[in-house]
Amino acid sequence: MASADTTHSFDHKHLLSIEELTSLDLEHILSLADRYANATRAGQRPMPIMAGKTVINLFFENSTRTMSSFEIAARRLGADVVSMPVAQSSIKKGETLIDTAMTLNAMKPDAIVIRHSASGGVKLLSRKVECAVINAGDGMHQHPTQGLLDTLTIRRHKGKIEGLNVTICGDIAHSRVARSTTQALSRLGANVTLCAPRTLLPSDAAAWGAAETTTDFDAAVTDRDVIMMLRLQYERMDGTQLPSRREYYHFYGLTASRLSKAKQDALVMHPGPMNRGIEIESAIADGPQSVITEQVEMGVAVREAVLDLLTREAAA
Amino acid sequence: MTLHIYNARLLDPASGLDAFGGLIIDGGTIADVGQHLAAPTNAAETLDAKGLCLSPGLIDLRVKTGEPGEEHRETLATASRAAVAGGITSMVVMPDTTPVIDDVALVQFISNQANATALNRIYPASALTKGLKGESMAEIGLMAEAGAIFFTNGDNPIPDAGLQKRAMAYAAGCDALIASRPDERALSGNGVMNSGALALQKGLKGMGADAELIGLQRDIALAQATNARLLVDNISTQASLDTLATAKSAGINVSASISAYSLFFTEDDVGDYLTYCKVNPPFRSENDRKALIEALKTDLVDAVTSSHDPQPPENKRLPFAEASFGAAGLETLLSALLSLVQTCEITLLEALRPITSGPAKLLGLDQGQLKTGTPADLILFDPDQSWLCQREDLRSRSANSPFDGRELVGRVKKTFVAGQSVFSED
Repeated sequence: MASADTTHSFDHKHLLSIEELTSLDLEHILSLADRYANATRAGQRPMPIMAGKTVINLFFENSTRTMSSFEIAARRLGADVVSMPVAQSSIKKGETLIDTAMTLNAMKPDAIVIRHSASGGVKLLSRKVECAVINAGDGMHQHPTQGLLDTLTIRRHKGKIEGLNVTICGDIAHSRVARSTTQALSRLGANVTLCAPRTLLPSDAAAWGAAETTTDFDAAVTDRDVIMMLRLQYERMDGTQLPSRREYYHFYGLTASRLSKAKQDALVMHPGPMNRGIEIESAIADGPQSVITEQVEMGVAVREAVLDLLTREAAA
Repeated sequence: MTLHIYNARLLDPASGLDAFGGLIIDGGTIADVGQHLAAPTNAAETLDAKGLCLSPGLIDLRVKTGEPGEEHRETLATASRAAVAGGITSMVVMPDTTPVIDDVALVQFISNQANATALNRIYPASALTKGLKGESMAEIGLMAEAGAIFFTNGDNPIPDAGLQKRAMAYAAGCDALIASRPDERALSGNGVMNSGALALQKGLKGMGADAELIGLQRDIALAQATNARLLVDNISTQASLDTLATAKSAGINVSASISAYSLFFTEDDVGDYLTYCKVNPPFRSENDRKALIEALKTDLVDAVTSSHDPQPPENKRLPFAEASFGAAGLETLLSALLSLVQTCEITLLEALRPITSGPAKLLGLDQGQLKTGTPADLILFDPDQSWLCQREDLRSRSANSPFDGRELVGRVKKTFVAGQSVFSED
């Protein structure tokens, strides 16, 4: 259970972005996560391989689901977990980001899980600490464990990633999820289409590995294996990017009639939190093709695998 | 029912045709056209054009009415009557009404009113920002689906370049055309006429060519960045033409219109505070006017507009600085261009291109050409007949024409929309 049975060695100190992972790295993490997921489903407790180790959750941005997911993952592996939402830290008292890192580092944790509102903020901290750093989301840049859990969810349903046609629709430009998930899926051979109004499409989508970008959601849904919807991130938009929610839903909402154009067994995904009636019809979110709650479940498994791999003595 | 118009001088800028011939209307469309139809036939109905010019009906990209909200200025119906008398068979109406056309229901209102009351084809342009306030994007996608032909912030450009860029990017994603008046208001804000010797002499605040140029350069840069389709609306200076030419040769998707009055008048025509000559863009210098005429000989300018903006007397019988901008233009559009043919500055086909095939191509319309199978929107006109423009004779509800009292050349004799006769002179 604790050791991956491939000959590939996972030699990364941190997990900061999907970009730095090879396809073998990705497979390695996914295989391990797959086994953690199966074990949990079978009601087995994993070996306490992180017993005696300390994980700090340092969240500079509010988060409920990601922080608790990391916390549960670490506890399942027997680690001691300290979760520090920013409101309770001395950051509010004017301490700089690097001072915080140095302070936490002096406490000798084995891993720090960090979410920060600034792109690159997590990387900056990783340079100042000796332990493993896991990026739990930095600004509009990366959210690697989300990319991994999306990929795992798809792989468990479809048996593969290569050759799948995946459409990600929504606020692509402001989404670290879109970037990480697109990179993970395309590195493993999926054809990823990014769909959004032009104001929410990035100009560098090709660099992410996306096969195409489009503003035509009807076309982008047709014959797809996976439809992933993203939330509109008003908090990250500078000025209005859209005319209205009504117009957005008209052109980009996932409705039953749109979904019927996708493959019969197409998966419907959403990283959450969802805005029902803005990007997705409620009946679709709760429907038989939706794997949205399963994404949450796979999140814990992926985070177990990542914590496991990054805190092993051999990898250190 | 068919109608054979014979013995006509066929003028078709789209194909370059300028020859004697005839044309057959069948139903609402052109059934046949060419030199082989010059002689009368035994068709059900015939019309002897007596050598008059037969061309596509005119397409006007910039018309204001007062409907809804200020019907005393003009309604869609009264504007359409003036338009067909001036040979205009298709026209775009601007969204700066009361309320502003910034919603699907209002786009549909214009279309429905036009269908019910107008004699020509009317296409609603929609507001680019809600209430034309320049603060947030209007529902571009939904209004495009409802039939909005393009999106514009009217006479008031969006001051926020960030919003202009986002609106252009968004519109590009909907394949929607954006029209933008190039005007940097920080420079031209309080101006009432062209910056120049007359403005100085008369003590009036000027609007410089620099304000138009900076606005134009901004919008062209944003068109390049966003790949938006941009129509620069009513440019008026030599400097703007030069910038436009550079942008077009660089492959930027930009088209341009100029106002017919910019081809005819100069700042000196403002004379002794003539408020009928208070327009925006203002009448410019003679050098600018010559450059605009020169541009008609190439494809640099896509359209010439009437810039029809009816203003009642109470808006014009005021001190110059307080009077409203705007001139009635529907009934003088053709003559303004034909006057340049009369003086041998451009050819008949060059005069017609920016009011037929040019705007048709820009808007993706089928009309605007003499081609079998296309809508029979046609005019018969005499390019040489002179007439005296008098405001009491104009059909527009507001007759604030700067041409008032001038001898003009070129008279529309008959106008057809979809094969139906909608205007006959007397």
